[in-house]
Amino acid sequence: MTPNGWLQIAVFFTLLLLAAKPMGLYMARVYERQKTLLDPVLGPVERLLYRITGVDANAEMGWIEYGAAMLIFSLSTLLLTYAIERLQHAIPLWNPQHLAAVEPYLAWNTAASFTTNTNWQSYVPETTMSYLTQMVGLATHNFWSAATGMALAIAFIRGISRRESKKLGNFWVDLTRGTLWVLLPICLVYSLALVSQGVVQNLKPYDTATLVEPQTVTATGTDGKPVTTTVTTQTIAQGPAASQEAIKMLGTNGGGFFNANSSHPFENPTPLSNMLQMLSIFLIPAGLCITLGKMVGSPGHGWAVYAAMSVLWLAGVATCYWAEAQPNPLLHGVNQRVVQTGAAQSPGGNMEGKEVRFGIANSALFATVTTDASCGAVNAMHDSLMPLGGLVPLSNIHLGEIIFGGVGAGMYGMLIFVILTVFIAGLMVGRTPEYLGKKVQAFDVQMSMLYFLIFPVVILGFSAVAVLSPSFGTSSLSNHGPHGLTQILYAYTSAAGNNGSAFAGLNANTHWYNSTLAITMLAGRFLMIVPMLAVAGNLATKKIAPPSLGTFPVNTPLFTALLVSVIVIVGALTFFPALSLGPILEHLLLRSGISFS
Amino acid sequence: MSDLVFLAASFAFFLVAVLYVYGCQALKGGRDDA
Repeated sequence: MTPNGWLQIAVFFTLLLLAAKPMGLYMARVYERQKTLLDPVLGPVERLLYRITGVDANAEMGWIEYGAAMLIFSLSTLLLTYAIERLQHAIPLWNPQHLAAVEPYLAWNTAASFTTNTNWQSYVPETTMSYLTQMVGLATHNFWSAATGMALAIAFIRGISRRESKKLGNFWVDLTRGTLWVLLPICLVYSLALVSQGVVQNLKPYDTATLVEPQTVTATGTDGKPVTTTVTTQTIAQGPAASQEAIKMLGTNGGGFFNANSSHPFENPTPLSNMLQMLSIFLIPAGLCITLGKMVGSPGHGWAVYAAMSVLWLAGVATCYWAEAQPNPLLHGVNQRVVQTGAAQSPGGNMEGKEVRFGIANSALFATVTTDASCGAVNAMHDSLMPLGGLVPLSNIHLGEIIFGGVGAGMYGMLIFVILTVFIAGLMVGRTPEYLGKKVQAFDVQMSMLYFLIFPVVILGFSAVAVLSPSFGTSSLSNHGPHGLTQILYAYTSAAGNNGSAFAGLNANTHWYNSTLAITMLAGRFLMIVPMLAVAGNLATKKIAPPSLGTFPVNTPLFTALLVSVIVIVGALTFFPALSLGPILEHLLLRSGISFS
Repeated sequence: MSDLVFLAASFAFFLVAVLYVYGCQALKGGRDDA
């Protein structure tokens, strides 16, 4: 670890802190339908959309209606994306490479992936998706799924702030305002900033470059014999990347325009673009903490939640950075050409799978940020992280991606943890738990526990079947032993957490993984949203009791500490056995000089 | 054929999700937590 590395991490945190408050207060104004500077431009567009779709913007919904609207919208967009993928070869628009229709299993996996804000990619975009599919099927979905998550978080916040009401707002209005007032304006400016750094934005066919040094490549032919060819040219993929890149990061979607995602020089060319991308992942989730404080009338509560998220973020990035800054013990002193100690020309530590222009600190920070949130974009190969370095992104998702988290999803996930924390605090002092003056009762806790239990059931259930199935489960592994278990566990964890990052050593483009990961993504999104909305709807109906001596304050360092403890204990207890057989065992074996092919 | 299977699977999942909504509501029953 170097002072320069820590300085960059500190700069990241400071910039985020400065941006969170204005962002949060702006979002509160947007969702409370108060005046903003963009109203003269966007107001007429909003009204036109409601007129076309027949939405009554003043009609509010109860939690069941809100949830049903969200489900109908998500099903519609899933089917639209599936249709575009399957028909892309027949649509005479923006398909300069003449790419064929996407195979059905893969198309469904991808449609489910983008509907759920996961953006798990079992495909290679450059050779699979036309520009039309990338723009209309995928980039548009990035806006919709992000705006849906934000709408749901706002509905939950309204559930806390309203008293004796059965209404949580109007899903269509929240969806529209989140898209028009928050996502689109920022993405417009952000895309141009990325273009200024060198991110490509065009509709050209791919370029072909002649190699300065032709390469001789030997591969196994269809008859099993080695075939040697000389490669003299390279295809350089193009496309509308910057416009997709902006919402990919801001909406915590994470699906790369190119297969190499944010390690591709056309997608993330410079250290500045890298810093912008990391900041944009956390921008809305951090702002939502301030929105929470503003809308529930307790700014201190919003900051207490922000502090809890910051503590967990710092613990993650410090662990990951430390682990990656260590030399690989199997290489240390054996091969002198592998420089693993800090020197003028080398950052030291484990540089396998990392981009030289980002180095270890920014790769560790990116890996932590992208899995704290449900983004899943990567600027380094997670499969190449040291075992304890890889443990951090995996654990971040296991905690429920509530460390700032996905846009909206992180906030409502964190609020479920807050309900649980308040409940436990109430039990400790022997009083009826209250959260901001509202009694937390049996139904709220039942729904919260349902929310928590779905997550490990789908992850551990499917992982167990895959691990025990050589024909379709372990046959996709690139490594065996504990690292192989981690590859499978990571895939289902990433899918259930709607993260989308891959450990990348697993070949997931098979019928088994495409179909089960799609089911995992859908379950991890919608089967968790439903009980969350039930809690919100129930909280909205309650009276607000005035604070008394027995009220547990939720704006103090004590609350922050208790919240962090509950998050760590719930996450650790649920997944520790699986982690001990995966990355922890791999770390111990590696220290003993044992690795697996 | 595969397209029809995935179309049916999509509708089936969201139907389950809608039933799940009413299942959660039924769990609350007639209790008045307010």
